[in-house]
Amino acid sequence: MSAEPIAAGTTAAPRRPRAVSLERAAVAALTVLWVVGVLLPILSLIVISVLQGRGLSFIWTVSFQPYADIFVDYRIETVLRTLRIVAVVTAIEFVLAFPFALWLAKGLREGWTKSILLVFLVVPFFLSPAARTIVWRPILGREGLINTALMSSGITDAPVDWLLFSEFAIHIGLIGPYFPSMVWPIFISVSLIDDELIKASRDLGATAAQTLRHVVLPLAMPGIAAGVIFTAIPMLGDNIASTLLGGGQVSLIAEGFDDLIRAMNFPAAAALGSTLLGVFILTAVLIGLALRRRGGGPDIFAGMKQ
Amino acid sequence: MSIKKTRDGKISRRTVIKGAAMGAAAFAAPSLILGGIRKARAAEGTIRMMGGPTVALEDWSLFEKETGLKMEFTPFHVDDVGALYNEILVNEAGERFDLINTLAGVQKNLVQQGMVAELDTAKLKNYAAISDTIKRSPVLYAGDNKDWSVPLYYNADSFGYFPEKLGLPRPPDALDWDLLLNSEQTLGQTALDGDNIALMIGGMYLKNRGLAEIGDPANMTASEVNTAANFMIERKQAGQFRALWKTYDEQVANFVNGEVLVQRCWEPAVKEAKAKGLDVEYATCKDFHINWMHATFIPVQAAERDNLDEIYTAIDWFLGGSYAAELAVLRGYTGSRMDLGLAFASDNDWPQDKIAQIEANIVKVDTKFSNPDFWIGGAPDDLAAYDAEMARFRNA
Repeated sequence: MSAEPIAAGTTAAPRRPRAVSLERAAVAALTVLWVVGVLLPILSLIVISVLQGRGLSFIWTVSFQPYADIFVDYRIETVLRTLRIVAVVTAIEFVLAFPFALWLAKGLREGWTKSILLVFLVVPFFLSPAARTIVWRPILGREGLINTALMSSGITDAPVDWLLFSEFAIHIGLIGPYFPSMVWPIFISVSLIDDELIKASRDLGATAAQTLRHVVLPLAMPGIAAGVIFTAIPMLGDNIASTLLGGGQVSLIAEGFDDLIRAMNFPAAAALGSTLLGVFILTAVLIGLALRRRGGGPDIFAGMKQ
Repeated sequence: MSIKKTRDGKISRRTVIKGAAMGAAAFAAPSLILGGIRKARAAEGTIRMMGGPTVALEDWSLFEKETGLKMEFTPFHVDDVGALYNEILVNEAGERFDLINTLAGVQKNLVQQGMVAELDTAKLKNYAAISDTIKRSPVLYAGDNKDWSVPLYYNADSFGYFPEKLGLPRPPDALDWDLLLNSEQTLGQTALDGDNIALMIGGMYLKNRGLAEIGDPANMTASEVNTAANFMIERKQAGQFRALWKTYDEQVANFVNGEVLVQRCWEPAVKEAKAKGLDVEYATCKDFHINWMHATFIPVQAAERDNLDEIYTAIDWFLGGSYAAELAVLRGYTGSRMDLGLAFASDNDWPQDKIAQIEANIVKVDTKFSNPDFWIGGAPDDLAAYDAEMARFRNA
C-alpha cells in the first residue's frame, strides 16, 4: 500500500529529477524529525525507566526498581480503573456520535444549519479544558442545580453526594470534551460514502438496518477506528476531569504521572509511561488481530486514500 | 558530553536529563535563545527575582525609592517542589535571576547540590535582630552553622470553618484538628490538601495525640509515613473527607459551593470567602498549627556577577520595615522583622486600621507559634515514600 507513491516517484525519476530530489529531501527531513522528535524521547523514556533515582540524582546502574515501584496493588488498580473508565466513556461517545455523524453527513442538506453545527463541533477546541470542566461543579455539587431540583421536588431529603467528586462525575466531565474527537472522523468517512451505494442497496431491497450494517458500517470503519483512537488515547492522559471533578476521591493514571514527577521520582514516572506504551501497543495489536479475523484488517484504512 | 558528578559521586540529574533531552533540544531552541537574551540583558541597577506569587507586592515603588534599584519579579508556583528543582537544576534559573524565593526547607537539597551561595550576613543590617527561633527554625537551618537563606515571612496555617452552622466559637477561641479529621458532626463535609501535606497533617495529629512515635511529621521515615497514611486511609474510608484539593481556586470554590463545613486551607482562601459574604473563620487551634516560611537565597551563579552588593541591598530591604508592613496588610502574613514594620507604619502615619492589622500579626506570633514542633518544609528526605503512600491514600 504505502509502496505505491514511492514506486511512482522512482519511475518518474529520469524525467523530473528536481521534483524527486525535493521529494527525497522531504522524506529524509521528516524521517530525521520523526527520529529526533518521537523515537529519541521514547528511547530516553525507556532508558530512564531502568535507572535508579535517589534524591536529586540518578544512579547509573540498570535497575528494575522503578517497575517494582509501579507494580504494586494500588498503582495497578489505578491503571485498570483508568482503562475501564476510558473504555466506558469511549463506548458512550461512539453510541452518541455515530447517529449524530450519520445524520450530519447524510441526513442534513448543505446549508446554514450544517455549517453552524460544524462550527459548534470546532469551538470546544478553542476553549480552556479546565473552564469547560469546572462548569459541572455548580451543577453536580451538594448545593448544585440537580440537588436543588431533587430536594425542592421532594424526591430526596438530603443532597445526593455521589453526583460530584465521584467516578460518575468523571464520566460526565469526559463526555463533552471528547465528543468532537469521535464525531469528526466518523463524519468525514461517512461523507465519503457514495450516495449511489446507499441507493443501490435500497434498490436491491435492503432494509435501512441492513444497509446500515452491510454498507455504511463497513465503509465507515476507517473513521470509527480513527475516532476511537483520537478519543481514547488522549483521554487516558486526561488529568482535568479527574482533578476537578474527582476531588481526589478517584485516582487516575494522569494524576499518578503528575505526582511521581512532583516527587522527583522520574524513573518510576518513566516506568509508568513505558508500561502504558506497552498497553497501547498490545491494544493496537489485539484490535488489528480482531479486525483481521473479521476480514477487514488490512483494508481498514483503504478508505482514507480516496 | 562530560558527565558531572555530585558530591557523593552520583551522576547529577541535570546531566542525565540534559543528555536525554538533547533530541528535544532542537524544538526548544526559541526558549534557549530567549534565555540567552535574558542573560545578556542583565543590567546593573535591576534585581531579577523569581518567587511565589504571594512574595510580590502590588507595586514596587517603595523598593525603588528606598534602594534606588529596579525590581523585575517573575512569579513561580514554588509549592510545586519538583517543578522548582527542575527550574533551578535543569533550566539553571541562577543564570537568569539574582534572588530565588522558595518554601523554606526546599533550599537544603539545593545547598547540598552546590546551587546556593553562602550568605555574608555582615552585609545585612536587618538580619542580626531576627529572632533565633526563626533564623534557626528546622526548615531554614541546614545544621552546618552557616547561613544560606533569609526568612522573608511566615504563617501558622490551620483550617477554615463555618462557626454559625457548626455552633462553634470564633477565633481567638481555640478549636482542635478533630473537627477536620475525626468528627461525626463533620463527616463527609471536610476537605484537605491533595498532596503530601495531607500525610504530614496525619503525622502531626498522631504525634500530638501520642498515638504514634513520629519524629518530624514534615520529614517522616518510610515507616512513619506509612503509619500516617494508614490513619488517613482509615478516616477516608470512614467517609470523613468530601474532597482533596490541589489548587487555591478549589479551596475557595469548596466554601462558596457549600461542599464543606470545615476545610484545611490557606488563610487567603478564608479572606476571599469572607469577601464573598460567607461566614467563615480561620481557626486558631489548641493542639497545633502548620508552620511554614518563605525564604530567599542568592543562586551560586549570581554570587559571581558584579551586582552582588546590589543583591545584598535588595535582601536587606526585604528584611526591613516597609516590606513587612505592606505584606502584613496585603496578605496577612508575618514578616521576619515586624518590629520594623510597625515602626515604619507609625513613622509614615498609616491609618489606624492598617496599623491594627500589623499589630495582629505580632500577636499571632505569640498565639499561634507557641508549639514550634510542626514546621513544614517543601522537601522531605524520602520524597518517594511520601509519594507512594500518597498514591495509596488517594486510591483508598
